[in-house]
Order: sequence, then C-alpha cells, then structure tokens
Amino acid sequence: MQGKSPNANRGEPPTSAEPQVDLQSYLRFRDLLEAAPNAIFEVEHDGTIVLLNAAAEQMFGYAREELLGQIIEVLVPESLRHRHRENRGDYAEHPVTRPMGIGLELFARRKDGGQFPVEISLSPTRSSRVIAVVRDITDRKQAEAQINAMHRQFTTELEATNQQLEIRNREVERANRLKSEFLASMSHELRTPLHTIIGFADLLAEELKGPLNPNQKRFVAHIQQDSRHLLELINDILDLSKIESGRLELHPEMFRAADAIHETIDGLRPLAVQKQIEVREVLDRDLNISADRVRFKEIFYNLISNAVKFTPEKGQITIECSEGQEGIFFMVADTGIGIEGSEQQAIFDKFYQLGSTTRGVREGTGLGLAITKNLVEMHGGNIWVESTPGKGSRFQFRLPHAPSQASATPVQDGAVNP
Amino acid sequence: MKRILIAEDRPASLELICTVLESVGYEVVGVADGQEALEKASENSIDLFLLDLQMPKLDGFGVVTQLRKQPNFANTPIVALTASAMNGDRERALAAGFSAYITKPVDIRFLRSEIERLTS
Repeated sequence: MQGKSPNANRGEPPTSAEPQVDLQSYLRFRDLLEAAPNAIFEVEHDGTIVLLNAAAEQMFGYAREELLGQIIEVLVPESLRHRHRENRGDYAEHPVTRPMGIGLELFARRKDGGQFPVEISLSPTRSSRVIAVVRDITDRKQAEAQINAMHRQFTTELEATNQQLEIRNREVERANRLKSEFLASMSHELRTPLHTIIGFADLLAEELKGPLNPNQKRFVAHIQQDSRHLLELINDILDLSKIESGRLELHPEMFRAADAIHETIDGLRPLAVQKQIEVREVLDRDLNISADRVRFKEIFYNLISNAVKFTPEKGQITIECSEGQEGIFFMVADTGIGIEGSEQQAIFDKFYQLGSTTRGVREGTGLGLAITKNLVEMHGGNIWVESTPGKGSRFQFRLPHAPSQASATPVQDGAVNP
Repeated sequence: MKRILIAEDRPASLELICTVLESVGYEVVGVADGQEALEKASENSIDLFLLDLQMPKLDGFGVVTQLRKQPNFANTPIVALTASAMNGDRERALAAGFSAYITKPVDIRFLRSEIERLTS
C-alpha cells in the first residue's frame, strides 16, 4: 500500500480533476485558516505536513517553511513517536472524524523540545488527507492541577478538623458523664442529711415524745416547710440535669388523659380548697394518649400548682382537654395575677421567677416551667401561654395524637381493615 | 410483736428509723453495718430487714445476697433504703433480691404504712 497513491486506491478522481479554485475563495479560505486560534495541520496519509496555519507556527515554535514537508511526528515527543506512527496507520485504514477532547491525554513537542498537553481533533478530507486541529490545553491542565491540589488540601484540612471534632466530642461526652456522676453523688449527699431533718421534724410534729407548746409547733412547721422546699429544689435540679444530659427516659403507655388529669387535680385540691378556688374540669373522657404517665401528671402538677399559687382567693381555675386536627390540646387557665407580655417567654427559662408582682406568693424553685416545657417537648409537643396582667393566664400545650389514632386516620374509603 | 432489723451507718438516720417504727409498736434491732446485720440476723428471728444500700464493710447489696442464700430468709421482706434517686437504681435493687425500695428522705407515714404492708 505504501507505494500506491491513496486517491487511486479509493477510486476517486485524480487531483488534477479537482475544481479550479478562484482567488476570492482561496483568500477567504486562507483568512479563515489564519484567524483560527487553534493550530491546524493538513497531513498526507504518510504523515507529511502539507499545510499549517499561523497558530501552529506560534504553538510549536517553528517557521512555516521548517514544517512543510516534514513528517508530523516531529511535533510528537520522542517517546511517543513510534506509537503515534502506528496510530496514524490505523487511522488511515479507518478514517473517521474524531472530535476534540475524546481519547487519551496527548502531548505535543515544541521546536525547543518543550512538551505540552494538547487536545486534537481529526477529520479525513475528501482527498484522503487528514486535518488535525490542535488545542494547547496547558492552562486548563494547570487549572485542573490547581483545583486538584486545593481539593487535596481541603480534604486534608477537613480530615484534621473532623479529627479535632471527634476529640472534642469525646471530651464533651466525658464532661457530660462526669457532670452526671457529680450530680448523682451531690444529690445523694444532699438528700442524706435532709432525710434526718425532715424525718425528725415530722416526728416532733407528731408530738409522740411529748406535747409542743404553740411556738415550738410553729417553729417545727417552719422547718418542715422549708426542708421540703429544699428537697423540691434538689429534685427539680436533678430532673432538669437528667433532661439536659438526655438521661431522662420516658416510658410511654396508652391511658385515658382525663383519668391522669383528675388524679393530679385531686392531689392539689386541698391547696385550692384552702384558697376557696373553684376548679372546673372540661375533659373529654374518651381521649386516650400515649405518654409517660408519671411525667404527664408532672406536667399537670406543675401547671395546676402554679395556677393555684398565682390565683387569689375565690378565683377560678379551668382545666380542659380536647382533640384537634393537629393533636391533643390541654389547657390550664386561671383568674390569677397574669404575666406581663415581656415575661411570657422568659417564664419557661431556668430559675426564672416572676418579679415584684408576685410578692407574698409562696416561693417556688423557678424550675417547674422549664421542666414542664422540656417534658412536653420530649413527648413531641409544644407549650405556650396567653396572659393578661390582672386578669389571668392560660397555659396550653399540644401533644401528638396517640399512635393508633394517628395510623387509623389515613385508613379511609374502604381501605383494608384487619 | 414483729421484729425489724435496721442497718444504717449514719447514727442520726438509724435513730430516726428506729424511733419511727418503735413508736408504732415494732421491736427494732439497729446495726451500723452490713457485717453486723448478718451476725444479728443469725441470732434473732427477724420479720423484716430495712437495709441502707451504702454501708461500710458490707453494703446492702452484699447483705441481701447473703440473706437470700439462707433458707429461713428466702421469703423474708427485705427493704432497700437509699438517698440515691438515679435511673435504674430501683430496678437494680429489685433484681438483687430486695422486696421494696424506699428513697430518702423518707416520709415517716409512708415508711410505717409500707412496713405494715410488708409484714402483714
């Protein structure tokens, strides 16, 4: 095949039969060629360069005359020339248009021996030659290398940060554990002496070892009241720290909300009776909820005892529960002193106690509402308050529907009923 | 008359519990540690044990384990008394063989009713 003319081989008309080129067309073609930003070569099937443009001169550092008639491999790095020659042979047998950016990473060689990365497109011509368009992709490769380097750097930094975070997490976990252990032992140490203070005060009040005079009785009553207040504080602090360290476990069960609310009201009734406060219950008797029963009662205990505490004599407390679309709603409303708008959010904070307006009201721990809010939220609900100073407050909270009811709701229109 | 053994290392607490139960007619045997509790248990017939969980020499858990091995105490009510109120303590005590679990500070009326319930 080597000796034969490629044109004869393909049975195409000889070059001499090609249409005559007029000067205008030739000039337009040349302007186009020279204006191209990429290097363009026309190469014979044996590798001889027959045409190149200005961009090619510039890219490879040769003058045009130096390259015309040369074998194209002069522009290929020495180590790749052999391979290139083989590829060229294959291409001559299967000439297809190969667009830019397809195939291997290619390298070209400048006159000064410098190598640079290129992209090449190949197109067979009607006269069995090949047009090669070469694009210098040095800049792009450099940008890619830079991006890769940055990516590697970021990855390394990210790994370091993650490692630090992990160390910090372990430290936080350890601190949390220590805090819990500290609290457990503090709680134990505080309750132990309180146990004998409360116990002996109660014993004295029983007057089994002899009668007390009125002053002594009053003194003992003070000890009883304040030691119980101290116990309440310790219990609340312990509860709150358990909640905050995620160590308070809920034990949910299904029960009738009205029953649990009623039990809580019964426990607090003596306090209400003392102040001649009327307690109204508007409870949906058939409402079942899934919650930790003990904690649910604690929520109501805190809300109702607050209501009793802040409602003047002969006031009224209304307790409601009802089911809505968004969940189950509970309300404890009173005709008490109310809460200023500016304080309505803060009352759910730890150790927040109402200001001057509450003088004369039995002291609390300042933790009840913080615990209540946490307990409601742990049950997947939310709590809020509406209040008018001087008129009263209305605490409401919402709990999600009990699971069986929630899953029963979408089953409609004759869906499968087991 | 029912005899109750009370083991508690803090003298004030021991006197409190003894007085509270004596005042309603129980005979009480007070000891200050777990070792002494086991010794007194073998000398007397005891109807109920009230054991502080934290004691020197042998703690309440140690005592209940030893007592439950003895056939004559296999079914005797043994009550744990503790100032600890952390999650899981009650479960741990009941699993160890205690019949009931009372936390300090005790409500003296509750203590009496609980002891009466367990001894009747």
